[in-house]
Amino acid sequence: MYQYNDFDRQFVNERVAHYRDQTQRYLNGALSEDEFLQLRLRNGLYIQRLAPMLRVAIPYGTLSSKQLRALASIANTYDRGYGHLSTRQNMQFNWPEIADVPDILEQLATVNMHAIQTSGSCIRNVTTDHFAGAAADESIDPRPYCELIRQWSTLHPEFEWLPRKFKIAVSGGKVDRAAIDVHDIGLRVYEVAQQPVFDVIVGGGLGRTPVIGTTIREGLPAHHLLTYLHAILRVYNRYGRRDNKYKARIKILLRALGAEAFTQRVDEEWQQVIKESEPLADAAITKMQGFFQIPTLPAIDDPDFSLDEQRLTHPEFSRWIERNVSAHQCEGYANIILSTKAPGIPPGDVSAEQMQAVADWADQFGCSEVRISHEQNFALPHIRQQDLFQLWQLASDHDLATANAGLITDVICCPGGDFCSLANAKSIPIAEAIQRRLDDADFLHDLGDLDLNISGCMNACGHHHVGHIGILGVDKKGQEFYQISLGGHAGHSGESASLGQIIGPSVSRDQVPTVIDNIINIHLSLRHQDESFLACFRRVGIQPFKVSLRSDAHDTAA
Amino acid sequence: MTQLLKQQDGVWQITDSQPTDWSPAESFSTGSALKLAVDVEPETAWASASLIAVDFPALTDGRGLSLAALLRQRIGYAGDLRAVGAVHEDLLHFLLRCGFSSFELPAERDPAIALQLLAPYSNFYQGSVMDPLPALLR
Ligand code: SF4
Repeated sequence: MYQYNDFDRQFVNERVAHYRDQTQRYLNGALSEDEFLQLRLRNGLYIQRLAPMLRVAIPYGTLSSKQLRALASIANTYDRGYGHLSTRQNMQFNWPEIADVPDILEQLATVNMHAIQTSGSCIRNVTTDHFAGAAADESIDPRPYCELIRQWSTLHPEFEWLPRKFKIAVSGGKVDRAAIDVHDIGLRVYEVAQQPVFDVIVGGGLGRTPVIGTTIREGLPAHHLLTYLHAILRVYNRYGRRDNKYKARIKILLRALGAEAFTQRVDEEWQQVIKESEPLADAAITKMQGFFQIPTLPAIDDPDFSLDEQRLTHPEFSRWIERNVSAHQCEGYANIILSTKAPGIPPGDVSAEQMQAVADWADQFGCSEVRISHEQNFALPHIRQQDLFQLWQLASDHDLATANAGLITDVICCPGGDFCSLANAKSIPIAEAIQRRLDDADFLHDLGDLDLNISGCMNACGHHHVGHIGILGVDKKGQEFYQISLGGHAGHSGESASLGQIIGPSVSRDQVPTVIDNIINIHLSLRHQDESFLACFRRVGIQPFKVSLRSDAHDTAA
Repeated sequence: MTQLLKQQDGVWQITDSQPTDWSPAESFSTGSALKLAVDVEPETAWASASLIAVDFPALTDGRGLSLAALLRQRIGYAGDLRAVGAVHEDLLHFLLRCGFSSFELPAERDPAIALQLLAPYSNFYQGSVMDPLPALLR
């Protein structure tokens, strides 16, 4: 992990002091509501429907057990004993008092954490593969580059006041676990002739205008990563629209100019930037890579260990291994997903006790390192195979061992109408109703990979466009309705990203679980052997699924 | 009445703004004082201006920051570069690092607060117009 030095610590402390001063000035009337809004957003504080929400940055979803314990303590002191894992690998707290936020930030600073640029029209927390530096299929560890981007973008003098928010994701695996095709900038890092290079994808994104990004440069040498980002951001900062917030993302600029003209403009700017600045020194890259060496793994004391017997005697454990455990770079180890998606719990909500427990397991079994996935789960890298059973038992006691990673019940879901003032409709009760209805583990495992993503409005925080099944809350004459789309994909599991297609008119909340049932039944009647939902959909198209909206759909499908 | 925040003999001070005979970009001639909108394309000839002001339409409009960086780095303008319009005390440190050297503060801004907020940070991560070296290499 990256280790703070004196400068980092001083910087974060100064940010706390500056924010404390801003809060004071707001409370004593020297800053207007509108001015403070811009300042607090850039430090992670939203005012939600019921109360403020503070979004804490977890750079590229990696934190230490110590940092997680600090978050648990904040959850207990300032929230109601909970935190919420966001789809951008951050942690959110509800209900903090505006006047308390500087104290929360000060507490975060003691464990080298902050809330800088977790909201507002600026460069947001960079995200990546939650198993970066541990996954077996990785060609290059993206984290050193994520940290370089984090440092470069933190209070960047030129790019703190962009037309709109700006999200960057980096992936270094064969399989893209960071959804790089649907970010303002997606970066794929890989090796050519033993040198790291980047493909640069621009203008992807969800929200009102969902778009798959366009690759504007391939094979960019690592020492030009930041100069190239500078050129893109400068073109966006200068020419992106500022008159309409729904047309202000970089994807709209790219589309307005056309991909070719946009790329040309970026390249021209880049040629100038290169002349005016120094490339990233090899020394800087090497220094950064030094922070991300694979940690000293716990020694394997039973080289002949096999999971076979435990799996045979504990089918639930076996299912968990199948779904939630994935291959590590080193033999004898594994990476695991601790699913937060147990029935009855809002997706991504984690209690302070769960945070404490995960921190303990990271110390006991892993290397004191915890990850947060964009699917809103905890993840632990570097676990010995021989410890999996014990860890599974412990996790079961804490509702964190649901064997559903990648299954339909592993729902991605935004806070929706229960918390968010922008929502058209609630999203959490929809997730819950579907999870309750689909409670047969054998059936779910047979069904296999199926991403269900739910957003409470067009802003698409629940990534509904890239769910294999996507659900979007819409407002119909003041009533909560839900629009269902099929065939979206975020790009993981090796297949290309795609956006969902809407199956037809929106339906009421009561109808949603039935329609989802119908969709599943239609899929099961059409699938070849154990074909996944996505593969089946891509083969047959949307037409056969349209009937799922009809009340007699069940009979038709059967 | 606007207030001018400017260094005098190395010390930041607030004075009343003096009326300036601004030229718009279209009628620039060597030695004149230029007042620029944030969306102009910088021109090499402007390096000879006696003073350049960039007019910020809103606190949230960051185009003037990129423009300032271009005026300094690409055009090579070395004279006084002034931020005018919606200049906010909490943005002074960004403005300074993009190359601004003086600020016309709207009348309602408190000059004492502005003076305190020139440098809320003793150092930054990334290089800038003022200091090209990133923290990682310092
Ligand atoms: S998608 Fe809409 S409702 Fe959901 S969190 Fe985002 S803004 Fe709020």
